[in-house]
Amino acid sequence: MANALFYILSVGAILAAAGVIASRNPVMSVLSLLGSFFCIAVIYLLAGFQFLAAIQILVYAGAIMVLFLFVVMLLNLGDPEGEAAREPMFHHGRRAFLAMGTSVAILVAGLVAVLNTSFPAIDPAVAETGNDPVGQLAIAMFGRYSLPFEAASVLLLATTVGIMVLAKRQRTPRTQGERA
Amino acid sequence: MVIVKRKTLSFSERLYLPEIVRGLSITFRKMFAKRVTRQYPEERLETTEVTRGQPRLVVNEDDSIACVSCGLCEAACPAYAITIDGQETDRFIEREPERFDIDMLRCILCGFCEEACPKDAIYMSDELELADYSRAALIYDIEKLKRPKSALEQRIGYVNKINQRWQTPSSTS
Amino acid sequence: MNEILVWVIKTGFIFGGLVGTAAAMSLAERKFSAWMQYRIGPNRVGPWGLLQPIADGVKFMFKEELIPDGANKWVFQLAPLLAAMPAMMTIAVIPFAGRVELFGQDFGNLSITDLDIGALYVLAIGGLAIYGVILGGWASNSKYSLLGGLRASAQMISYELSLILTILAVIAMTGDLDLRAIVEAQNTGGVWNVLEWNIWYQPLGFMLFVVATFAETNRHPFDFAECEPELVGGFHTEYSAMRFALFFIGEYCAMTVMACLTVTLFLGGPSVPFWAAAPWFVGFAAFLVKAGFFLFLFIWVRWTLPRFRFDQLMHLGWKVFLPLSLLNLLATGVAILFRGGA
Repeated sequence: MANALFYILSVGAILAAAGVIASRNPVMSVLSLLGSFFCIAVIYLLAGFQFLAAIQILVYAGAIMVLFLFVVMLLNLGDPEGEAAREPMFHHGRRAFLAMGTSVAILVAGLVAVLNTSFPAIDPAVAETGNDPVGQLAIAMFGRYSLPFEAASVLLLATTVGIMVLAKRQRTPRTQGERA
Repeated sequence: MVIVKRKTLSFSERLYLPEIVRGLSITFRKMFAKRVTRQYPEERLETTEVTRGQPRLVVNEDDSIACVSCGLCEAACPAYAITIDGQETDRFIEREPERFDIDMLRCILCGFCEEACPKDAIYMSDELELADYSRAALIYDIEKLKRPKSALEQRIGYVNKINQRWQTPSSTS
Repeated sequence: MNEILVWVIKTGFIFGGLVGTAAAMSLAERKFSAWMQYRIGPNRVGPWGLLQPIADGVKFMFKEELIPDGANKWVFQLAPLLAAMPAMMTIAVIPFAGRVELFGQDFGNLSITDLDIGALYVLAIGGLAIYGVILGGWASNSKYSLLGGLRASAQMISYELSLILTILAVIAMTGDLDLRAIVEAQNTGGVWNVLEWNIWYQPLGFMLFVVATFAETNRHPFDFAECEPELVGGFHTEYSAMRFALFFIGEYCAMTVMACLTVTLFLGGPSVPFWAAAPWFVGFAAFLVKAGFFLFLFIWVRWTLPRFRFDQLMHLGWKVFLPLSLLNLLATGVAILFRGGA
């Protein structure tokens, strides 16, 4: 049962991911990505990672994809039925070839890396009793790995501030004349 | 030019919550206040003598109407709602309407016809409801307009009372 | 008894109760609003108008459904479902009462399931309600709908932060993400179990949470999604018939879930004052009374307060509520530190 569910969800996740790049409408792409995230979240649940599944939905589906949707709607990326869109896919010549080649290379490299890694087997005793996985995660995140964790948050903060600065600089000369 | 001065809010007002509680207490108290709704088809408003509803033709005690089809109401009607065709009659009044139609969809209940009538034949009743399935059914003919005098008593008395104002001693003598 | 059968019965009971409450709320809203305005309210269908929701439901089912020209049909039809589903899903982890024993049968705890990460589950699924609103607004191909959808989702994102941070303070106090554990920590026995309710330890958190639930469910005074004078009907302007009704069922379900969540987190859930060992049905009744008060509060506030302006809403959300909830979390953390662990 669980195995069958895993395969169904995997196929669903891959199909949804394919839908992200295949659909002409950016909003549909976002929705497809959302579907993919959900399939992955349920796979996490099947593997017993309740916390990870909840975080996956809370952060990716609940926060990040909403922002994506916002941006897609506000930017109004033009007519999806326009001339450029009607051109058959993969017919963009050498550039498309280069992009595809790079993607395939990265995919292959990732596969090789995953297959060559030996994952530590889950301690059956821990998996059975649960043993407070949230607490363990918290202790690992704020104890042993607190420096990378803080570094990541500083990086995010820096990115946000950088975006603010860039956005402000473009606008300043125009508004200055009006205000003065 | 009016300069509106903003009231400076006190601390508790700026905190907003005490004011919300005050508002909530008001709405809660009003929940038990007396209701003002009238359950329309069952409970109706009482009509008074000044109620000016749809025009109706007065039927006298001898089942006749006083209209002589002079056409004054037709001419006075601002909405062109009244149509009259006259005919001769053996009665003392010599003329009576063959056809007296009021298009109730056009009638604006102004009461000019009542004022114009020299024979006191048409009065505003206290009837206000007007609903039907077709437009044709809302063009009332003589039979639909007839009302016994008793039904219009209140209004007739009121109109007479108002008209007394113009009956000064000099003009009547 | 068969475990699956018990589970089906409990699911049917709780889910039916939720949808029934949503229907009853549509009537209660009209009745209470009428009373507050010296009116009588619906009273034609059934005794005192009690059958009005059924009449409304029949009407919605038989109405014609219109899909506007130029709308994205697929998304347009999906959006109401997305709006109604999250609220219906989150009811699953609310602990309504303790162990239920009926006709000599043990039904287990009265909740569809007790997840270890119940509080997180509520937040994760509850956050998805935005999609129904924003996609419904976008797919309608109407500027009013789009504006309503964008406003609603911006508002929900802003207040979800305060909501999460206040819940976090409660979780930090209990030291557990399981809603059942949070409820049990507020009723450890003894006569003065009222004093164990989180509302006494988290007064600021309670206040912030209640106001944030109003914003989160798009209710007055924060109902910018449908802001009638500016946006016609907001994100559901173009909807009709049953899909339109689904948005409202979703809204009322979300209100019910939020009321239940407030009771669970701050008012001890099924804990009966001064009677720690109350049987399950008394606890359940206590839960319903407490949740009923918050449902009434939703209606009560709606017919009392005028709508905010959108910039005031954002000001309140980001400059008042977020710092206050962070402060609340900090104070909770400091208190836990000095009292030596949760």
